[in-house]
Amino acid sequence: MGVIATAAPRAPRRFLRLNLTAKQALFGYAILLPTVAILLVFRFLPMLQAFWISLHEYDLIRPPRFVGLENFIDLLWDPLFLNSARVSVAYVVFSCVPVWVLSLGLAVLFNREIRARNLFRSAAFMPVVMPMVVNALVWTFMYHQDGVVNTILGWFGIDPVPWLRSSTWALWAVIIIGIWRATPYYMVIFLAGLQAIPNEYYEAAKIDGADAWTEFRHITLPLLKPTTLLVMVMSVIVAMKVFAVPLIMTGGGPADSTRVLPLFIYQTAFEFFKMGRAAAMSVFLFAAVMVFTLFQIRLFSRGED
Amino acid sequence: MTWLKLFPTLAMIVILLVAGHPVVGAAAAFPTENVTIEVWWHEYGPFTAYVKQLIEAYKKLHPNVTINPTIASSTDMNQKLTVALAAGTGPDIMDADASYYVAYHAKGVLEPANLEVFGVKSYEELAGRYVSGGLASGTFDGKIYTLPYQGNSMSLFINNKLFAEAGLDPKKDAPKTWNDLMALCPKLKKVEGQRTVRKAFEFPYHSPRWQLQDLQPMTEQFGGKILSDDGKTAYLNAPATVKALTLWRDVTKACGDPKNTKNTASNPNQDYLDGFTAMWITGPWATPQVQASPIKNDFTVVGFPQVDPAKPHTMVYGWAWGVNKNRPEKNKLVAWDFVKFMLSKPDEWLAKAGFVQPVKGVAETEVAKKFPFFDVHMKDVQTASWYLRSEQVNEIAQAVGRAVEAVVYDGADPKTQLDAAQAAVEKVIKK
Repeated sequence: MGVIATAAPRAPRRFLRLNLTAKQALFGYAILLPTVAILLVFRFLPMLQAFWISLHEYDLIRPPRFVGLENFIDLLWDPLFLNSARVSVAYVVFSCVPVWVLSLGLAVLFNREIRARNLFRSAAFMPVVMPMVVNALVWTFMYHQDGVVNTILGWFGIDPVPWLRSSTWALWAVIIIGIWRATPYYMVIFLAGLQAIPNEYYEAAKIDGADAWTEFRHITLPLLKPTTLLVMVMSVIVAMKVFAVPLIMTGGGPADSTRVLPLFIYQTAFEFFKMGRAAAMSVFLFAAVMVFTLFQIRLFSRGED
Repeated sequence: MTWLKLFPTLAMIVILLVAGHPVVGAAAAFPTENVTIEVWWHEYGPFTAYVKQLIEAYKKLHPNVTINPTIASSTDMNQKLTVALAAGTGPDIMDADASYYVAYHAKGVLEPANLEVFGVKSYEELAGRYVSGGLASGTFDGKIYTLPYQGNSMSLFINNKLFAEAGLDPKKDAPKTWNDLMALCPKLKKVEGQRTVRKAFEFPYHSPRWQLQDLQPMTEQFGGKILSDDGKTAYLNAPATVKALTLWRDVTKACGDPKNTKNTASNPNQDYLDGFTAMWITGPWATPQVQASPIKNDFTVVGFPQVDPAKPHTMVYGWAWGVNKNRPEKNKLVAWDFVKFMLSKPDEWLAKAGFVQPVKGVAETEVAKKFPFFDVHMKDVQTASWYLRSEQVNEIAQAVGRAVEAVVYDGADPKTQLDAAQAAVEKVIKK
């Protein structure tokens, strides 16, 4: 009896005897817990489940059937998947590179003391705030034979281009919209990066007789390196996931020329009801994005080493 | 004493049975308690308005029944339904493109038609109320699972004004064959420089499912078929299909300009309605749209063009009502009763939605007699096969669409493209 009576009050006292650092850590974990729980339930569990589904044949209604790595092996020889991967890579390369150049150029321009600068900045940002579906519908009309784009080309004696109805031009039509929409978004990020560079560096360079190009090359670009990495990683990830514009404007055609990987994943899952195969494609896409991101981070951190 | 105690209980059981409580094998009575059923259908203005009227009328007959409607776009309906059925939140009554029901049946989510509700003794008797083959799309292993509210022919709509401008008479010069049609095209098609200002005729390019809709009857006209009846063998690169696609290409070169169109999945008839295309293949449901367009009543409808008019082959497609098997018995009973109620006036369906129910006797109704070119639509239905019935219908349509677009847009060889389509479809079917 006496042992029980003396042992009982010890436990809470031990708990209370936490030092300040431990208490702060505990408090931090408690605050983090809801966010971590949400991420776990709505992000990581679905990702794990997608991987699990990728090992099955599953049409949503009948019970899943385990097929091991069959879905992944099949994809390696599937001309439709390989074509979609090729279209996605082409979209990423031909949309992201111009976006990097244009967004940086616009950021440099709008960082200068020009008249009505805020008005121009706001106007440039308009494509970002417009809903993607609206963008796609407006551009569909603009690309028509008698639309704005062909009318402008006509002023220069250029015949109408069948933008959305030609397997040669359709991907370019989608890429142009991607560039138009993404450029102002990354411009704002570059602008923030530019404004973080201390003006003293430029003043010192000017005293040393540096011209604008030298300043840009030796001050702006090196100090924008973290921002550039962020823009590159984000833009590639976003471009890899392009979906709404090709879905609405071309449905992946003509002749598969705009069937980017996310669109093909969607069709495989929700038109063909092959959830396992679609999940395997998603795993491929995830792996590709991860590899590319790690490669970019590595590339940028090499100089710092 | 024991018998005396048991007697009232036994008497009560006998009274309850005699009073008509349900017994095994007897017809289930219409529920008297409150029942709520969910009905899903695809969006099409006149159709939606009519079904809402039917819901109100049914509620007056059965005040204890609540009907909750959900309307989705035709392009989204299949995935919404599948996801909901998988999650156990599917509706009591579903509306789907008839070609999708083969997959729903295979997945075991369809309830067979309740014969007692329809007042028939067998599925044959129920099928006897429809035109020959009218229920083929929803019949599996001899049982009827779905009932179509529209079984549309595909017929050739002609813009009379554009014909007249080209010096043609829409009655006398209307094409019967593909060769007739191609012969008209130089007169109807107008090109100014590099701009096409009028197309004589066009095939659909806004949706692979529409492309299959035309390629299927064309293949049959050459004596072939896209898929075997059991759905296990594809004939996409067979000589008949290659001839059909080659004809498609030749007709397109002579008559159309597929790079120039405003047709979309939600506005598939737009070029015809705008007077940009003089001839266009579509269904009777387009009639109210045509009448509301600048064309008004100045149009003519003739049969689907043929390779040999003596051996006509056309196509019928449609949408049908089905009932969810995984719902409570009373809901299923009410659901079939409401389906029966909805389909009970085929003339109203024609008048209010422009849909032709493939039931016997529609042609004799006053509405049908007044409906423009109803006889032409029905004639095309009589020589029609239902749209491809396969669990893999979307993948087959995609493969066909890919081949069509490569041939038309890129000038690829029809046989080579159909070989690729065949390989893709064979792989899918084998799985």
